[in-house]
This record gives sequence, structure tokens and C-alpha cells, in this order.
Amino acid sequence: MSVKNSTSKTIQEKTAELSELVAWFDSDAFTLEAALDKFKLAENLATEIEKDLLSLKNDITLVKQKFDSEL
Amino acid sequence: MSAQAPSAIFSVSDFIAVTNQVFETAYPSVDVEGEVSSFKVNQGKFVFFDIKDSGGSVNCFMTVWQLRVPIEDGMKVIVTATPKLTQWGKFSLTVRNVRPSGEGALKKSFEILKAKLDSEGLFAPERKRLLPRIPRHVGVISSTQAAGYADFIKILNDRWGDLQVDVAHVQVQGTSAPDQIIRALNYFNQQEDLPEVVVIIRGGGSADDLAAFNDELLVREIAGSRIPTIVGVGHEIDESLADLAADVRAATPSNAAQLLVPDRNEIIRATKVQVQSLLPRILQMIEQYRIEVKAELFRALDTTMRSLEDQTARLDNLKQILQQLNPRTVLARGYALLRGKVVVGAEVEIETNTAILKAEVKHVSKK
Repeated sequence: MSVKNSTSKTIQEKTAELSELVAWFDSDAFTLEAALDKFKLAENLATEIEKDLLSLKNDITLVKQKFDSEL
Repeated sequence: MSAQAPSAIFSVSDFIAVTNQVFETAYPSVDVEGEVSSFKVNQGKFVFFDIKDSGGSVNCFMTVWQLRVPIEDGMKVIVTATPKLTQWGKFSLTVRNVRPSGEGALKKSFEILKAKLDSEGLFAPERKRLLPRIPRHVGVISSTQAAGYADFIKILNDRWGDLQVDVAHVQVQGTSAPDQIIRALNYFNQQEDLPEVVVIIRGGGSADDLAAFNDELLVREIAGSRIPTIVGVGHEIDESLADLAADVRAATPSNAAQLLVPDRNEIIRATKVQVQSLLPRILQMIEQYRIEVKAELFRALDTTMRSLEDQTARLDNLKQILQQLNPRTVLARGYALLRGKVVVGAEVEIETNTAILKAEVKHVSKK
């Protein structure tokens, strides 16, 4: 999960940030006034994580070395 | 009638050499199937046995390190060998490879080797290493033409990305398969940039097709790999010794991909659920606030009402007192109000509840 997007945050960092936001909603720090902004932020993060995950591609390389006989 | 040319006369040594040349030319490699008898190992190095059927028997010779699967008397095997006439004039097969033949022999060989390796602790749970949760670099050993490989890559690409996947193409069945897989495993283990996991996969097949994964040397190499391994061979019901020696056993090649990486679609779904679960939390808090505000309003109204009732009661009380003090109330009880000087001869006014009278004072006396 090391791929970074234009905002220079990895998927892992975004996931951690989202987890923190979710935890805030269950914490004593919760206020209704701030909740809507935090919710919008969480929604945006989820959208970014989805986009980042779907854009990941594997790099599959066939090893050049042959294994059908001793070197 | 022509005279027959005299045949060449060989020395014994030359005859043996020429015969062996003929064998090598005619049968450089021959596969012979038969039942093992008189199996023995001399000096821990040399293996001797006979293979026979109802019509004959042939001596066989090989070295211990060429014997990759356990065999014993009575087991049906196929040997890959070169025929040879020894310097003592005995015919034998110099065996390069021996493999069990038929379901019974394969099973027997499997069980013997399994018990042996198990007793050495190669399959012990405490030897198993954990795989990284999401590896970055993966080595894959398989035949790239096999359906199992295609399944693995498809599931891998569906589930995750951003992996560096190095694929070593090898044969996954036949006599050369174990050595090829071992070389590929050694190749990955010797890389400067080590993969974090090596995945060894092969699709389904007959017991004979999958026999390569019960090769003793291969099983030992898998158990000794520096890099943690996943082995996914055959179908769910197939069990190979390579499976047992691996750090993680996958039921199939597709299952190997499932065990290797998380499912990004599942993560996306979970992330959405996580965010959506915040909405009820906000609504719950709004409802909580609404209830609290309503309760406050009710409390304020109640206080106001109680204050109003108190004031009304006090007012009623005062009204009653005032009522009692009203002269008309006194007159109504039968009393009269006298106005004027109370001296004999003076005219006074007397007011009752119902009339006002004029009267003259006739007499005044002290009480």
C-alpha cells in the first residue's frame, strides 16, 4: 500500500486518517457542529481510497533464467 | 556358394564395451515398469533392487541421492534407466529416476515419506512462518501455460495491485519437474532483492501428475526456504507433501492468490460501510439534542406554569382578604353603618345592607 496519489498520501495513510475520523465520532470530542465537516472529509477520503485501490496494477515479469537444466 | 566372412573376435573387455555402446545407441534412456524386489542400500550410498513381472526380472542399480521417493519390495515402479552390461557380465539397469506406478504404489510411497519427514519435524506447526499482510514483492513458480497459473494471476489482479510479481516458468509434472522447481526456488532465495513470499502453484491432475510435489528433495527445499512459501497444488482434496512443508497451504492456485493478498473490493466495501455508519451516529446525536432541547422547554414551561399558579393563588388569597374587609360584606352580615356625631339630639345617618336611614340620637350611654 505504498502507492501515493497526487495528494502525496499513501492508501495506508488515508486509511489511517479515515480510522481516526471514525474514532472521533465515538469520542468525547464529538460535537454536532463539527460533525458534518468531518463526515464530508470521511466521504472524500473513502472515495479517494476507492479510486487509489482500483488504479493499482501488478507488475508481472517472467524471469529470464531457464530452469530446465543445471546452470 | 560364397564363403562366410570370418566374424570379428573381441576381447571380453572390448565385447562388453561394444555391447554397452550398442545399448547406449539403441536405448539411451528406457522406462521399464515392474515390481520391486530384493531392495537394499549398501554403505548408505548404493541402491540395489530387481524389478520383475510374471515373465522375468532385471537387476537395477542407482545411487541413494538419485532415489527421490521411498520404495520398498512389492511396490510397482517405473524406472528411467540405461541398460548396461557390467564387467562381470551381468546385465543391469543403471537407474536415473524411479517413481511409483499406479495409485497403490503412489499412496504407499507418499505415506512412507510423509511419516519420515513428519518424524523429522518438517511439517511441524511451530515451523510455519506468517506471511506479510500485503506483500510488495512476490516470486511465483509455475508453468505459465497451466490453467492453474492463469487462475492465480486472474484472482491476484482482481484482488490487489502494486505488486512486483516475478514468475519462474517451470515444468510442474514429469520427472524433471521437481528439479526445475528446486532450481527456481533456489533462484529466488539467492536474489539480492528477496521476494517476501514464494508461491508454488499447479492446477489439478491425476495422482501421477501431482507426484512431483511429493519428491523428497523438493519437499526439503521448500521446508528450508529462506523465503516464506505458499503451495497451492491440485484441487481442495489433493494433499501433497510440498503442501505440508510450506508455511501456508492453499487448497488451489486461486486460493493461493486469496491467501496472498486482501481483496481490494472488500476493502472498498468496508470503507464505504465505515463512512455510512457515521450518518446514523450524527442522526442519533441530532435526535439526542432534540430530546434534550424539548425536555428543557418542558422544564421552562413547567416552571413558568408553577410560578403563574403560585401568583394566581396569592392573588386569590388577597382577593379573599379584600373581600372580607369590604364594608358591604359586613352590612350583608346584618351590621349597620352609622355616620354623624353621636350626641343626644344629633341627626345621624344609618346605612344597612338594604337601606339608608336618617335618625335622631335620643340617648347615649357608655358601655
